[in-house]
Amino acid sequence: MSELLNFSEEELLAIGLSFKVAIWCAVLILPPSLMIAWWLARKNFRGKSVVEGFLNLPLVLPPVATGFILLLLLGTNGVLGKYLNDWFGLKLAFSFYAAVIASMVVSFPLAIRAIRLSIEMVDPAYEEAAKTLGANSLQTFVRVTLPLALPGIISGFVLAFARSLGEFGATIIFAGNISGESQTIPLALFNEIQIPGHESAAFRLLMVAVIFSFVAMSFSEFLVKKLHHRK
Amino acid sequence: MHALRAKLKTQKGNFTLDLEVDFINGITGIYGPSGSGKSTLMHVISGLENPDHGYITIDNEVVLDTSKQVHVKTRKRQIGYVFQEGRLFPHMTVRKNLLFGSSYTHQAKQLIEFEELVELLEIRDLLEKRPKNLSGGERQRVAIGRALLSAPKLLLMDEPFSSLDVALRRQIIPYLIKINKKLGIPMLVVSHDLPDLLSLTQELFLLRNGRVEGHGNYFDLIQSEKSLDMMRGAGLMNVIPFKVESHDVENGLTHLMNRDASHEIHVERELINDSCNAGDELNVSLRPEDIAITLQEIKDISIRNQLKGKVSKIIKKENRIYCLVDVGFLLIVSITQASQQKMKLETGSEVYCLFKSMALQVNT
Repeated sequence: MSELLNFSEEELLAIGLSFKVAIWCAVLILPPSLMIAWWLARKNFRGKSVVEGFLNLPLVLPPVATGFILLLLLGTNGVLGKYLNDWFGLKLAFSFYAAVIASMVVSFPLAIRAIRLSIEMVDPAYEEAAKTLGANSLQTFVRVTLPLALPGIISGFVLAFARSLGEFGATIIFAGNISGESQTIPLALFNEIQIPGHESAAFRLLMVAVIFSFVAMSFSEFLVKKLHHRK
Repeated sequence: MHALRAKLKTQKGNFTLDLEVDFINGITGIYGPSGSGKSTLMHVISGLENPDHGYITIDNEVVLDTSKQVHVKTRKRQIGYVFQEGRLFPHMTVRKNLLFGSSYTHQAKQLIEFEELVELLEIRDLLEKRPKNLSGGERQRVAIGRALLSAPKLLLMDEPFSSLDVALRRQIIPYLIKINKKLGIPMLVVSHDLPDLLSLTQELFLLRNGRVEGHGNYFDLIQSEKSLDMMRGAGLMNVIPFKVESHDVENGLTHLMNRDASHEIHVERELINDSCNAGDELNVSLRPEDIAITLQEIKDISIRNQLKGKVSKIIKKENRIYCLVDVGFLLIVSITQASQQKMKLETGSEVYCLFKSMALQVNT
């Protein structure tokens, strides 16, 4: 029994890193998701379905493929990564940043979808009312649309967080499996499973993964319910 | 002074709005059946929709001129729009709803202080509540208050009567009259219910199929066959301003006198608000069907209200006869064709208009 709670330093490092990557991913993804979700929910334009298809791509693409694309784009010799390296000395691939970027790309469609649905649920009549009262588009968005869509925004945030906790394929390709740098819980778990005799270590990580995900999802459900009651 | 002038033409599917309106200060009613273009007109005036062609001036300031590419945005038009459903923000308390617009308004331009408004609309007890906990009438008052606190030059009211129960729908009228009197803000009130509209104002625009079919004072409009025909289906109504003369406590009646003190009528005491004192003005409404016409005064009859007058116009519509009788003011009376023929009524006939006190409705 005591073995189940006896976390090694490397495991604790992976747990802490997972948490850090997930938080950064959810926080960084929120502003662009809000903007794009609002744009998709409220505007009609030509080629909208093409844009939607492109944004949803990471949802259906194998994460390994997504990781590979990221590597081709942002790797040290990648299309963009080359310039980042030459001009700023920035090496993104196989780092903590790469783990965050990989998580962000795969969580992006989930966050957009949740936020967009909740913005679509906000009756534009309220936005019209705000305009007749003198509010401009940004003020209307901040004071009316955003608070009314808050449950969906929170669930978008939590979904991004939870998806990031589970991210494996894109991360291992683009960020590698470096302890303390890019080795999150799923990657550490993958290592432990492959080594015979490390079942209890694998089990410890498994428990943490289940608890993290469960708590995140319950918390979002709780907030969403609470906000619905407020209306 | 012109509160609002507009000349608009716009096509929406196979509906065309094509009209020219010119509203003076005071309260103007816009009557039209559903689909007549009332909502489109309101949307265009407020800038929520743009017409294909036209111009709009509010308080002599151009807010729209398609020929010069002028499109002032909704938020800059300074229009108070009271929507039919109120559209109070559900995530805010009544107080926050009321104050929503004040952050975008210069304090100096404010028409009315917050505290004063709360008193005027009698909403003090509601301030900390959320919109979902308000009744229809309360919600509407808050919506009016919210619009007024954004310092509008013009108040648009979309169907203010129809979101309320029948018994309560006219409760809003005294508030609207108070606001107009106190703040002097011009109001456009859109409704598909003519009797309700008439109890608020007699200045009307009649809209049908996106066009103005007539405009002016109600009593001038009913003299035109075209507008009479249009208003007929909606329920014609006599609306007469009276002054309270005295209360007859013993008989439970109140004596009312018309403006030039030539006619006295009696209404049931209980119809009149307790706060009404002698000298107060009120509107009495009376349906044309509830008036009988006789050629002589009738002494032995329970009906106390008998007004002598002269038939000024007779309009025939199908089997109905509408007589306009000048009894010092105009009364519209509806009778059957058979009665008219039997009585040999014609323009210029001297008649008495009889109606029961109970048929009168009083709007304070």
